[in-house]
Amino acid sequence: MTRLPPGRWAAVVLFGAAALTPLVVRDSFILDSVILILLWGALSAGWNIAGGYAGQVSLGHAAFFGLGAYAAALMSARYQQSPWLGLLVGVALSMCAGALIGYLSNRLRGPYFALSTIAFAEVLRIVASRWRGFTAGSEGVPVPYRPGFWTLGLSHVAWLYLILAVALGCYALQVYLERSRVGYQLAGVREDEDAAEALGIATRRLKIKAIMVSAAVTSLCGSLWAQYVGFVDPAHVFSIDLSIRFALNSIIGGIGTALGPFLGSVLITSLETYLRATFSGIPGFSGTYLIIYGVVLILIVRFAPEGLTGIAARWRLRRARAHA
Amino acid sequence: MPRRLLASLVVSLLVVVAVAAVTHGQSGEYKIGVLEPLTGPLAGEGKRHLEGYEIVRDMINARGGVMGKKLVFAVADAPDPTAAATEATRLITREGVKIVTGTFSSRLCGAASEAAARHNVIYWETSCVDPRFSKRGLKTVYRTEIDATGFGWYNVEFIAKHLAPRLGKKPSELKIAFLSEDSSYGQGVTESARQRAKDEFKMQEVAAEYYNFQTINDFTPIIVKFKQLAPDVVHHIGYTNDAPLFWRQAKEQNFLFKAHVHAGATGYGSSDFGKALGNDANGAFALLEPGPGFRIESLKPDGQKLEKEFRDAVQKRTGSYPLGAHQLAGGGLWLLKLVLDRAKTDDPDKFRAAVMSLDLPVGSMINGWGVKFSETGQNANDRVQHYMLQWQNGQLVTVWPEEFTTMRAKWIPLPAWDQRK
Amino acid sequence: MDPAARLGPAQIDVVAQLAVSTVLLGGIYALIAVGLTLIFGVMRVVNFAHGEFLMLGMYLAFFAFTLQSLDPYFVLVVAIPLFFGVGLVVYLLVMKGVIDASHNVQIFTTVGLSTALQNLALVLWTGDFRVIRPWHSSVVLRIGGTAFNLSQVVAFAVAVALTVGLFAFMKWTHTGRVMRATAQDRDAATLMGVDTDRVYRLTFAIGIACVGAAGVLVSPLYAAYPQAGLQFVLLAYVVVVLGGLGDMVGAMVGSLIVATVEIAGSYMFGTAWKEVFYFLLFIAVLVFRPAGLFGQRGAETLGV
Repeated sequence: MTRLPPGRWAAVVLFGAAALTPLVVRDSFILDSVILILLWGALSAGWNIAGGYAGQVSLGHAAFFGLGAYAAALMSARYQQSPWLGLLVGVALSMCAGALIGYLSNRLRGPYFALSTIAFAEVLRIVASRWRGFTAGSEGVPVPYRPGFWTLGLSHVAWLYLILAVALGCYALQVYLERSRVGYQLAGVREDEDAAEALGIATRRLKIKAIMVSAAVTSLCGSLWAQYVGFVDPAHVFSIDLSIRFALNSIIGGIGTALGPFLGSVLITSLETYLRATFSGIPGFSGTYLIIYGVVLILIVRFAPEGLTGIAARWRLRRARAHA
Repeated sequence: MPRRLLASLVVSLLVVVAVAAVTHGQSGEYKIGVLEPLTGPLAGEGKRHLEGYEIVRDMINARGGVMGKKLVFAVADAPDPTAAATEATRLITREGVKIVTGTFSSRLCGAASEAAARHNVIYWETSCVDPRFSKRGLKTVYRTEIDATGFGWYNVEFIAKHLAPRLGKKPSELKIAFLSEDSSYGQGVTESARQRAKDEFKMQEVAAEYYNFQTINDFTPIIVKFKQLAPDVVHHIGYTNDAPLFWRQAKEQNFLFKAHVHAGATGYGSSDFGKALGNDANGAFALLEPGPGFRIESLKPDGQKLEKEFRDAVQKRTGSYPLGAHQLAGGGLWLLKLVLDRAKTDDPDKFRAAVMSLDLPVGSMINGWGVKFSETGQNANDRVQHYMLQWQNGQLVTVWPEEFTTMRAKWIPLPAWDQRK
Repeated sequence: MDPAARLGPAQIDVVAQLAVSTVLLGGIYALIAVGLTLIFGVMRVVNFAHGEFLMLGMYLAFFAFTLQSLDPYFVLVVAIPLFFGVGLVVYLLVMKGVIDASHNVQIFTTVGLSTALQNLALVLWTGDFRVIRPWHSSVVLRIGGTAFNLSQVVAFAVAVALTVGLFAFMKWTHTGRVMRATAQDRDAATLMGVDTDRVYRLTFAIGIACVGAAGVLVSPLYAAYPQAGLQFVLLAYVVVVLGGLGDMVGAMVGSLIVATVEIAGSYMFGTAWKEVFYFLLFIAVLVFRPAGLFGQRGAETLGV
């Protein structure tokens, strides 16, 4: 058996399980859950590129998500073109937006950077809500379902494999970042930007590029999401709740690791879906699942800040010591 | 075995276990899915909607249920569109329902109905008002409530046909200022009102301002602007925290207008408005389902019985008169029962045939509604009778159309703020 | 008709009314920002749950008024020590463990706290909008052509008193100086024998006491509901960054600036865009002068 590092084994299991699901299960809800887990995972991986690998913790990634969602939805609903074209437009727009943010916020660190990204996403939200002539304002854009690949009107099974391909791409991208020279430079910028600059690394350009790539991935997933869920409204797609979720999965799974975003997504999405399904039907208790959610978040972030991959690494270390 | 692998398998197992629990309905019960926002910013109204559903469900079960079985609910929380789509799918595949109803908000009904349509499951919308909902050509999707254009339509109807004559002006002589909260609901109603006011009645629009109800802290800039523009009528679609703020500040700054019109069960149409302002609320209008002062005798005999029973049930459970959310949900669910009585099945094609065959005049059921669905699955504007209510002495009373009411609209034009007794 | 065109007595009334509203609104923002700037400034923690404590203060005032007929200004006296205690408890249970952790951890801790508190309020008290009307919320003061509410004036007065009080505390008392030292350089402060844990405890408690009191003070003006904090929290951040972290006077001035931008922007371009104005201002400040108007240049990198 080939000696893969442990992390890769876990990835094989995770993606393999996702790939095998349609062969075992016919239930749309389970397929839907797997699709969402992979999609949120991919989105978090996109966030991770800027937040985990480059150290640019953004809480406004919904800006790119929303741009991608609107681009695809409008291209399909308003111009009757293929949403794939909208996807490309969204990616282009998001990369420009990312470059702008990166350029403007170059000097900002930590919470300041996070706040600036929140402001950016909010501005986009308001513009989308008011521009009735183009985006139909707050009423949002219903996305027509036209069966076919070019119109992204797919069955659940087809969606699953499409999103799985995207997720694998994001995973591969992050692995590349871990092992490449660019990745090492980014790590340098993340750990100590001044030192990295002193070593001659073009920190500003590198940061901007990281944000642009992150924005592109997020936008791409946003476009796919729009076609999957079928409705785009500004209050949801540009919301700070979504931005927080992208960051959350990575942090819980293991920030700055390739599998972290996906592990985090498995845990959080399942937890949320399960809690909501269980509790919301009980009268007087809707909202309980969110209390639990908030408390779990506090606990995990406090006691396992390196996330699930951190826990796993500690286990392995302890096991290695025990055998020594 | 690597610990990591083990951990991943455990997690996968958790997911499967969590997700694998399928609930089966007991025989003798018929289960439908109910999708409402029970958390998030719309939670207050979502909960009332659910209450309305439950009350009418009990009424239905007292009459033997649907298709000979007891009607039960599988309830799901949908605070945002993604959750709406996911939960709709869950209700269909895990709970096994063949009919999904809900959802109170225009943001949610689009996504939820798409999900239902893809499974060829019946989607029975009772409240969202997005006009595009019924224009997607989906054969299993229906709506019992009129859309936002209907609300705007009724408001302008009231202003042009009832207010204008009492103000001694022609509709084209009326100066109207539009103010609205910026969500899909506010935009939808306001824009359709603006259009009808301008195109059909040539009213003079002096202003159209929007604001975000979650962040509005001070209406002074708007009030100051409006005071200078001196509108006769203020058409204000407000939500529940901003409406009292506007009214209080308008009173403080002595902004006088001749009439104030709103539509819907939130904001000026919510009981919270009366609780917030007491008698200061006097004079504001809100387009809603019938409230006190409604001449139950104006309904058909069957309708009278149903309406009375509904009101008594709501009174018993909540201690108050039915609120808008109760009425929309309850009326919608009753219509569903009528369809199922006729179709005797939930097979989508036979169901659709039954829906199309329903034809009852205004006054036949709860809220004084009639029913006639169009090919697009939309209940007709002129069958879903809506009424104009006015705050009078701490209560919302029904004042228009006058053939349905015992009370009359007062204070036209509105006198000075401290003279509205 | 362009209202700005002609400058007659009516126009002066307009400007006067807008000005008065701006000042009073600025006072309310200052009430909320003062606690936030203290926490953010001394602890360098982004407290995303700040708005939720405001919400809790509003509910406290609501229930005290509805159930016991207690006036909010009476409740205020009780609220300050009560929320001080709440701040201590929250610090010990939640914040203390993450004070040394990375920013992400701190951010998400407070985000989790925010979610938990919002939904606790939802489960306990439902999503209904709660309004109280004590006698002073109906008292209208009229000066010249302007009109404003007594409750607003009281909120403004307390905001000024709080700002001045905290400013004096930070500048002239020993504890205040210790807090400022810890804010500037925590390690150096520790080396000088400062018990930083005690400093942070105190800072957080004072910050929460301020915002809880703010909630009580604004309850005659706004409805209480689980998400009421959202109405103010983002702009509180704008104020804090604008004024400079930890700077009390900066918080007051920042509040007035934000209120001016909001009201002038709303009047001239429409209220739908009002957040865009202060967010653009926010981005501009972050790009060009992140330390804020009153902060030292480069202060934004301290402890970050």
